[in-house]
Amino acid sequence: MSDSKKTGQNADEQKIMIGLEIHASLGTKTKLFCACTTEEAEPNSATCEVCLGHPGSKPVLNKTAVEFATKIALALNCKTNESFFFSRKTYFYPDMSKNFQITQYEIPLAEQGFVELPLGKKVRIRRVHMEEDPAALIHPNGMGKSNYVLIDYNRSGLPLVEIVTEPDIESPKEARDFLDKMENVLKYLGVLKGENPLKVDCNISLEGGARVEIKNVSGFAAVEKALNFEIIRQKQEIRMGKKVEQHTRAYDAETGLTVALRKKETEEDYGYIFEPDLVKIALSEKEISEIQKTMPELPDSKAKRFQQKYSLAEYDAKVLCADFELGKLFEKMVELGAEPKTSSKLLTRELLAVLNHDSLELSEIKVFAKDFAELVGLTVDGKVSDKNVKNSMINYISGNKESPKQFLEKNNLLISSSINADEIVEKIISSNQKAADDYKKGNEKALNFLAGLVMRETKGTLDPKKAQELLKSKLKKADK
Amino acid sequence: MKREETVNFFAEEAKKNFSKVAENAQKIIAEIQNSEKKKLNYIETFDGGSVLAQLKELEKWDENKKKKAKLFGVPITVKDCICVKGMESKAGSRILKGYKPLFDATVIEKARKEGAIIVAKTTQDEFGFGTFSTNTEKVPKNPFDNERSCGGSSGGAAGFTSHTKNFHIALGQSTGGSIACPASFCGATGITPTYGLVSRYGLIDYANSMDKIGSIGRNVDDAALLLETIAGKDEKDSTTLDAGFVVNEGAIRKVALVTDFFENCDEKVQKATMAKIKKLKEFFEIEEVSLPLNVKYALAAYYIIATGEASTNLAKLSGLRYGVQGNVEGKHFDEYFSEIRSANFTDEAKRRIILGTFARMSGYRDAYYLKAMKVRTKLINEFKKAFLKYDLLLNPTMPVVAPKFSEIEKLTPLQNYAMDLCTVPANLAGLPHISCNAGFVGGLPVGLMATAPHLKERNLVSFGKVMEIE
Repeated sequence: MSDSKKTGQNADEQKIMIGLEIHASLGTKTKLFCACTTEEAEPNSATCEVCLGHPGSKPVLNKTAVEFATKIALALNCKTNESFFFSRKTYFYPDMSKNFQITQYEIPLAEQGFVELPLGKKVRIRRVHMEEDPAALIHPNGMGKSNYVLIDYNRSGLPLVEIVTEPDIESPKEARDFLDKMENVLKYLGVLKGENPLKVDCNISLEGGARVEIKNVSGFAAVEKALNFEIIRQKQEIRMGKKVEQHTRAYDAETGLTVALRKKETEEDYGYIFEPDLVKIALSEKEISEIQKTMPELPDSKAKRFQQKYSLAEYDAKVLCADFELGKLFEKMVELGAEPKTSSKLLTRELLAVLNHDSLELSEIKVFAKDFAELVGLTVDGKVSDKNVKNSMINYISGNKESPKQFLEKNNLLISSSINADEIVEKIISSNQKAADDYKKGNEKALNFLAGLVMRETKGTLDPKKAQELLKSKLKKADK
Repeated sequence: MKREETVNFFAEEAKKNFSKVAENAQKIIAEIQNSEKKKLNYIETFDGGSVLAQLKELEKWDENKKKKAKLFGVPITVKDCICVKGMESKAGSRILKGYKPLFDATVIEKARKEGAIIVAKTTQDEFGFGTFSTNTEKVPKNPFDNERSCGGSSGGAAGFTSHTKNFHIALGQSTGGSIACPASFCGATGITPTYGLVSRYGLIDYANSMDKIGSIGRNVDDAALLLETIAGKDEKDSTTLDAGFVVNEGAIRKVALVTDFFENCDEKVQKATMAKIKKLKEFFEIEEVSLPLNVKYALAAYYIIATGEASTNLAKLSGLRYGVQGNVEGKHFDEYFSEIRSANFTDEAKRRIILGTFARMSGYRDAYYLKAMKVRTKLINEFKKAFLKYDLLLNPTMPVVAPKFSEIEKLTPLQNYAMDLCTVPANLAGLPHISCNAGFVGGLPVGLMATAPHLKERNLVSFGKVMEIE
């Protein structure tokens, strides 16, 4: 409470406390406790006696899942526990093949970590633990209208990691920043599954009020919206003299509202017992350091390294590292001999602009570092104008198989040599003496006119700035 | 006991002459199908077609394959709670009626590889919940007196072993004494191994942290032979130990009688077992020991942990993907599974679900479940201390001889649970133990139980051998 924000009776000034529970699907080949595939498959075909909970079957822990989860824990700066175990969380629900879930309770995989937000604030991580996903319930005509559900057990037993934060987040925007940052870190690790591997439950309370949980909000933008709505709703309750009670709500993406679901059971009602079919897991320091060795460089340290090694601006280095693929592409280009600063500019300005324009992700398209390195080489040598850099890039990204260089060559867009440019500039000056004189008298517009003529003559292969520079120096010389 | 009476001898003979396999199997089939004998209720499920198919398959085995097979042509009966692929396996419960596993339990797989013939499933208390095999629909009758119980919960296994005159070994299962108790009441030899020596993959769970698959035979050789074939590490069961068992005798010097258990027994049982112990003194140095913590706390800790685990294991039985099915039309999930569970569990199963759920509920979990887990560690330590001095600990297996069904009906649940006093401590501690016949009281068998340190099953074999000396 040493915060600058004052606490008070006024609802508008009350401190907001947000804690998040994030479920991350791991990208292992097999499920958490059996050998069934985690790949998409016909409903109920990726199942066996274990994930269907058939009597007599027993779980066997997937070691790769432990490795992946440990990587997540380490990347979130957590302390891993020397030994940990699994527990049974019992509740009856049709998506549960055994009517209990194998999860971690007393001693999770790891505890006490943090994530540093872009402005330096640290959000503490309370715990990171492993658990199995329940089956998927499918309501054929929508949730309210179906009088039956279909169950797809392909999802039953998929490996999840649950990440729980402390209630350190103070605004919906901060929640979103946290999620963006964390998602990028997890993507760097290469341990997540598929397209939308993260599901978020939000806990929010205004100072003095009870904690309200908002379940299963999909998408980070929706998290921000749901929290914004919930703050307004809770403030309004307080203003009206009501007490905010502890309960669970659901976010309706269509209306942007949260709706009360049920009073939250306390955790202990799940009647946890130790999972007696699994043994304690002890990760030795050696095993942990082995896992650490296989961990990729994470975004923050990578950006720092880029700044130092390649003399990039902090902002550019961070932009390069905010996308795992982009950072990788940059380093490959530099390895191939491309000049770092120009490479960085090409990627962070030109490439990202084209991708954003087409709403594409770098991972969705096929590009080669070699082609980009070539283009950087041409730029450094002054053989291509900014405009044509952009054009060649658009052509390349649009799926044409030509490399930017091939495109430029084919369309005669390369500046063959600087002598040519000199000749053209001289030719333009001599055949437009009036404009040249106007410039010498101080008319700047005259220079633009001459530059335009030069550009037309060079079919745009010359950089407009370069054209102006050449004109200026020629006109000075001519003056002497 | 003569060597010609052992299954080991039979299996060796059978390798030379296949007709012995067919002849023995035919006799067992006839025995199982005999309408009078059916009334003894040892057999839960029998599939004659499957037995004949296995016989045909065995006949094709080449010499090389036969040579290594330890159970060539040996009929094995299987306690109902152990999964056999394609064969109804319902752990004695109505709620699992129709459940035909998609897989063989690891012990079945292993026995088949050794040339065993899986003949039938044997009756038991529902999920192993009982001491007399009365908590089920088909109640097995004691071969020595049909008015009396076989003991439980592996009642059918011990009853059939004692009853049949043919070569055969039974797979049993014990959580708190379910192999030793019926072996004692039926005059058979039952070995319960160290927890984790035998894979539980394919065992329908009662209390996973205590469940053990073991063997029941007519003699110690038979029981040990089956144990040898099923023991060993299994990747499908994380709780299996990196250990095996080879039939072998251990060197036993000092043995102790657990006085507390003798004191709690019926006078006649005490007398009969002491008479046998007198003979044992010719072979071992025998002293006395007391296990006060186990006597006082083992039963309580056992019933809390066992029911706590059982109540979660039974949660999956809701009439959804296997076992009994009901009409789901127009019903909520909660309503449907409550109906199925109310109609199909016995009172004893319901009692244990309620007890176990209570023990792990918020507010009681610390006082009961977690405390019981801590107590278990203390009880194991008490045993370990005794084993620093002794190679075996002895006690009467059961405090009484097999009771009449009419007497059992009168027992309160608490009196019923107290019957397990002598068998529960070793089971709770995961210690290997054997029950051998020590004589008779009024024509009914009395069992003497020996408990060995973890993984010292060979000490039990030595004990069994001495017990069989006429």
